[in-house]
Amino acid sequence: MKRTVIPFGPQHPVLPEPLVLDLILEDERVVDAVPTIGYIHRGLEMMVEKVEYTEMGFVVERICGICSFMHGMGYCAAIESIMDVEVPERARWLRLIWAEISRIQSHLLWLGLAADAFGFENLFMQVWRMREEVLDIFEQTTGGRIIHSVNRIGGVKRDISDSELAAILARLETLGRDFGTATRVFAKDPSIAHRLGGVGVLTEEEARAVDAVGPMARASGVVMDTRLSGAHLYDRLDFEPVIETAGDCLARVLVRLREVEQSIDLIRQAIDRMPKGEGLPLDNRPRGNPQGEVFTRLEQPRGEVLYYVKANGTKFLERFRARTPTFANIPAMIKLVKGCDLADVPNIILTIDPCISCTER
Amino acid sequence: MANPLNLPMAPRALRNLFSRPATRRYPAEVRPRFEGARGKIVFDVETCNFCTLCARRCPTLAITVSREERTWSIEHLNCIACNACVEVCAKKSLTMSKESRAVQVPGDGSDGRRPGREEWHGPAPEAAS
Repeated sequence: MKRTVIPFGPQHPVLPEPLVLDLILEDERVVDAVPTIGYIHRGLEMMVEKVEYTEMGFVVERICGICSFMHGMGYCAAIESIMDVEVPERARWLRLIWAEISRIQSHLLWLGLAADAFGFENLFMQVWRMREEVLDIFEQTTGGRIIHSVNRIGGVKRDISDSELAAILARLETLGRDFGTATRVFAKDPSIAHRLGGVGVLTEEEARAVDAVGPMARASGVVMDTRLSGAHLYDRLDFEPVIETAGDCLARVLVRLREVEQSIDLIRQAIDRMPKGEGLPLDNRPRGNPQGEVFTRLEQPRGEVLYYVKANGTKFLERFRARTPTFANIPAMIKLVKGCDLADVPNIILTIDPCISCTER
Repeated sequence: MANPLNLPMAPRALRNLFSRPATRRYPAEVRPRFEGARGKIVFDVETCNFCTLCARRCPTLAITVSREERTWSIEHLNCIACNACVEVCAKKSLTMSKESRAVQVPGDGSDGRRPGREEWHGPAPEAAS
């Protein structure tokens, strides 16, 4: 049969980000997909050669606007482990709280985009209304809505007072109840189940074979979550990863829905268990320059991110590398797209939660 | 066959009919900025001793300071409001205002100024001491 090549992106209505994918079709069925990476490559990793390691945190945060907090946190954690810095305990708890708030923010953003992609405009606006609440919390506590700049090597720049933390928790719990109404729609609405159920199924074996990460892997029943390693104080929380077994687009939506509720619960536990009081130390700034190399991992909203830092004892790092979750999920996306209908492609691509800014850096 | 009465979005849709909109009628109604929001850098030329520490700490080189000429200038379009200069200023001449920067329009360049650039001239050293 004659083959047709349809370019999906760089500009496509379903995704605000420039994903570049060539779909090869036979009739209406996709037989192959060829991704191209590099459309918005900005050379941020190369900037370590020109930007001092103390200031590189600002650059790393700008890799992506959705996971900016976690990128900053991962970079600082990498430098801290090279330089053997003991981060004060309250600072570590604050990082965890901000990280979980940013997970809620990212999942709400994605759920809105997903609703928009399958044509549920009303739901999209409801979810984004809730996300606005979370952005307000960020602006109040960090000073920025998207770029927070609160991480510094050795700790954090700002404290959140105990009364403010209680207020944040109350707001998040109200948000959680409000979010329950949206969860019901995602889980119960027959048109959503019809559109997403059974579409783009990734079995557990396939997920392991293509090394899927994050909610993508967890929706296929793979118990994989970097938070299980216990780093960044997650060992002090009661934490059980959210697992679904169906592996289809609907399961990936459900995993993220439940992860929003789980994050609110983790923040509640963290506020309970962190050391209380005013004026506790928040940073422990190292002296000198780093020397050595290190890998660190974090569980970002989209999955496991890996940072590699190599330092040579000068104020400029030799190499910085971030392996972002979307990059790891691209093979899974290609696998899912092959054999599906052209009309299902936008939903399948969206359910891996692609972040092209992260991928292409 | 799906149940035609299974409409989980209906309660929310009905509530939306009778509730206030979630959005504001901007610019008639502007949300006040939160305390502690990072808006723009405010400089106080009276207290500055032109030590150039802020310029050296600025990650985007938005600040230029000349100790000899006693001038301090900032390119607001380059500033990323990271707060690094405010943290390092020993004289507390720099503060972070929660109000955002003014909208900049490109000039015709006839006055030799770049949009978003602010410049201060400090008093001569004898007068300052």
